[in-house]
Amino acid sequence: MKYLNKLTISSVFFTLLISVPALILFTNIFIGGENWSHLVDTVLFEYIFNSLYIMFGVAILTAVLGFSTAYLTSLYTFTGSSFFHYALILPFAIPTYIVAYIYGGMFDITGSVTTFILNLLGKDLSEVYFLDIMSIEGAIIVMSLVLYPYVYLICKTYLRAESSSIIDASKTMGFSNFQILYKVVIPISRPAIVAGVILAVMEAVADFGVMDYYGVSTFVTGIFRTWFGMGSVEDASKLASMLMLFIFILIFCERYQRRNKRYKSSGKDFKPISKQKLTGFKSFLAFFACFIPFFFGFLLPFSQMSIWFYRSYEEVIDEDFLTVLYQTLSLGVFSAIFITVLAFVITYNVRLHKSKLADNLTQISKLGYSIPGAVVAVGILSFFSIIDRSFDILLSGTIVAVIFGYTVRFVAISINNFESGFSKIPQSYDDATKTMGIGTFQTFYKVMLPLIKNSALASFIVIFIEVIKELPLTMILRPFNYDTLAVLSHELVGQAQVIESSVPAMFIVLLGIVSVLILVKKMIKD
Amino acid sequence: MLKKLALGTLVFASSLLASNEVNIYSHRHYDTDKQLFKMFEEKTGVKVNVVKAKASALIKRLESEGKNSPADVLITVDAGRLFQATQKDLLQSIDSDYLNKNIPAQFKDKDNKWFALTKRSRVAVYKIGSGVEKELSTYEGLADPKFKGKIMVRSSNNIYNQSLMAAMIAHHGEEKALEWAKGVVANMAKSPKGNDRYQVKAVANGIGEIAIANTYYIGKMVDNKEVAQAEAVKKVKIFFPKFENGGTHINVSGAGVTKYSPNKENAIKFVEFLASPEAQELFAKGNFEYPVLKGVQASKLVSSWGTFEDDNISISTLGENNAKAVKIFDQAGWR
Repeated sequence: MKYLNKLTISSVFFTLLISVPALILFTNIFIGGENWSHLVDTVLFEYIFNSLYIMFGVAILTAVLGFSTAYLTSLYTFTGSSFFHYALILPFAIPTYIVAYIYGGMFDITGSVTTFILNLLGKDLSEVYFLDIMSIEGAIIVMSLVLYPYVYLICKTYLRAESSSIIDASKTMGFSNFQILYKVVIPISRPAIVAGVILAVMEAVADFGVMDYYGVSTFVTGIFRTWFGMGSVEDASKLASMLMLFIFILIFCERYQRRNKRYKSSGKDFKPISKQKLTGFKSFLAFFACFIPFFFGFLLPFSQMSIWFYRSYEEVIDEDFLTVLYQTLSLGVFSAIFITVLAFVITYNVRLHKSKLADNLTQISKLGYSIPGAVVAVGILSFFSIIDRSFDILLSGTIVAVIFGYTVRFVAISINNFESGFSKIPQSYDDATKTMGIGTFQTFYKVMLPLIKNSALASFIVIFIEVIKELPLTMILRPFNYDTLAVLSHELVGQAQVIESSVPAMFIVLLGIVSVLILVKKMIKD
Repeated sequence: MLKKLALGTLVFASSLLASNEVNIYSHRHYDTDKQLFKMFEEKTGVKVNVVKAKASALIKRLESEGKNSPADVLITVDAGRLFQATQKDLLQSIDSDYLNKNIPAQFKDKDNKWFALTKRSRVAVYKIGSGVEKELSTYEGLADPKFKGKIMVRSSNNIYNQSLMAAMIAHHGEEKALEWAKGVVANMAKSPKGNDRYQVKAVANGIGEIAIANTYYIGKMVDNKEVAQAEAVKKVKIFFPKFENGGTHINVSGAGVTKYSPNKENAIKFVEFLASPEAQELFAKGNFEYPVLKGVQASKLVSSWGTFEDDNISISTLGENNAKAVKIFDQAGWR
């Protein structure tokens, strides 16, 4: 019993600690700075409208792309299905700003593809229907292409763990494949889809780089405009806290709704789904459905990057570069392990003790993900300045600060992974082990760990990739003379050396690919 | 990793103890700066440590670190942030004969809390052969309806646009500045997006006729490895507009010594070094910026664009007007 209390206390403590920066920012919602009425009179409603539009667009697109591909590759085999099994996660490894820039260069008003097609048609821009990629719709498309793997990955782990019996049962009842999809798979996958979509939406709404480059005014571009341009951290934080409040409401609505509709697994057998073989036209269709997101989310930008890489790697790779590579790698691995373990402790505690308080705190700790890294950094700096002054130490500018920053920012991903993983494990397992008098630790080690392993692996991959891609927070909180690949790439872009910037970016992508391959392979074997 | 962590802490701790060094918070992130830091290290034996991030973020970090801050020097790429830093009392006055003598009053803080190091001018770029250059004259003139559908300019989130507007306010007051902004918005060929280079590329490809851009970006487009950029810049030329009662708008990159600088002596030495002829030359050659020190020439390429007269507005006024500028953009609907 003592052990349980320790678990609860420490998990609640960590949850609170992670939530502090967001809560500090949140206090600003009650304090309006001097520019607030100006914002309300001029731009606030545009920020709100655009942010909602982006959230809505990204939610729909990522749900469709992520779920359909997860469904196809989990239930069927078809031409290329085992390739897509891995390949569909890859877009996630490419930094969004790179994709946005490459797509601008190809599809905007003067883009290479645009001009090529116009020349082919012998027409002028004004004579054809043309969607400029550098627009709010373009931003939605670009974000969705890079973010759908969230939905894919979570749905995939979810469907894999799904008992095949329910699908077999529907088959016996004479359901067609479409009926099974519509009446069974979609309803039972709902928690996974929503968990993935919420992550994608939170990330999209927190983006600055793409929106700024594409000329879209959102809450987040507004936050930076207010902070940098008007010099008003207070009003910027107030905007950030409004955004947080909105996301918070969203998270709770989703949970409230799910509570009533949760699919209860009988958990009698965990036989993996036996895949059905598709042939002919159906196989082609499935191939096509998977190829589109893979092509636009990964292959196309990756090809462009490869060409750029080939043209500039000799200049960029030197001894300093290797140091940066090593630093990025170790920072990524360590942060990913740390955050995954922490998220496990937090979610496992909620499950073990069914504590409402702990559960609600867990939801608060997710907020960091919906606010841009630079704003999280502001919250952390404010928090640290209190600690620094009380204890006369200096936390900002240490690795500890950076990792704490990642935790605040990314722990939501890991928690969502575990929550959706745990929701698959029937409560009866816990009860059974309790009746059998098996201790908490043994229950954890022998029962929970094997069942939750895939969620942990998924969490590790995603956090690792997120951390090596992370930019603003790293820049603000890092120690002296400490660069990462993302920082290096960003600096080269800032010097108009876009071609050269592909070299560090390429290493980010390669690290992402390697980790995805290693870990997904493991997931399949088990 | 734990080892690494311990090592990191150790390095950090030792960096606090060691005195022969100088700690820089910088918004500049150019290769030339790396070379400059190396030059300084070789010359003085003082180790240069750097954290690079956006100036506003570094200001926030300085603010929250307070007296414990290890930073000695803050470097920004615009006057506005230096002004913000002085407003928040994060910089200290320094007494340097060299800087006093060599940096003109227009390019430094009145209490010597910061000094400009390089200049960049914001200019009009037009397509060769379009003939539009005959109609170009002043910044004010860009709001003239004759340019309807011809102007390409980036979002007002960008500091360079904010500075231009701050100068407009200084010249004509807020009301006229708002009118001007509305006029420019009405003349835009496309809603604002992309960076300065994007605008130049668009104009080179026949979208709009006038791009507003900073000079050093043009320099960076020349011989750029990205073919589309290198090709685009060949098709355009620079025109230096003026204010009706002033010169060509310039912004600066500059540096100041922090209030709680633990290595103040080195910090002053460092800022003096950045204003020295050899450093100024590197700024000019490596990054296509205009040196602030008299007697140092701009690079060949930059000189080939022609000469211009600096606007007479004091650089610190740009900082003072920055917030107003952003609000006017909001009111004018300049995204």
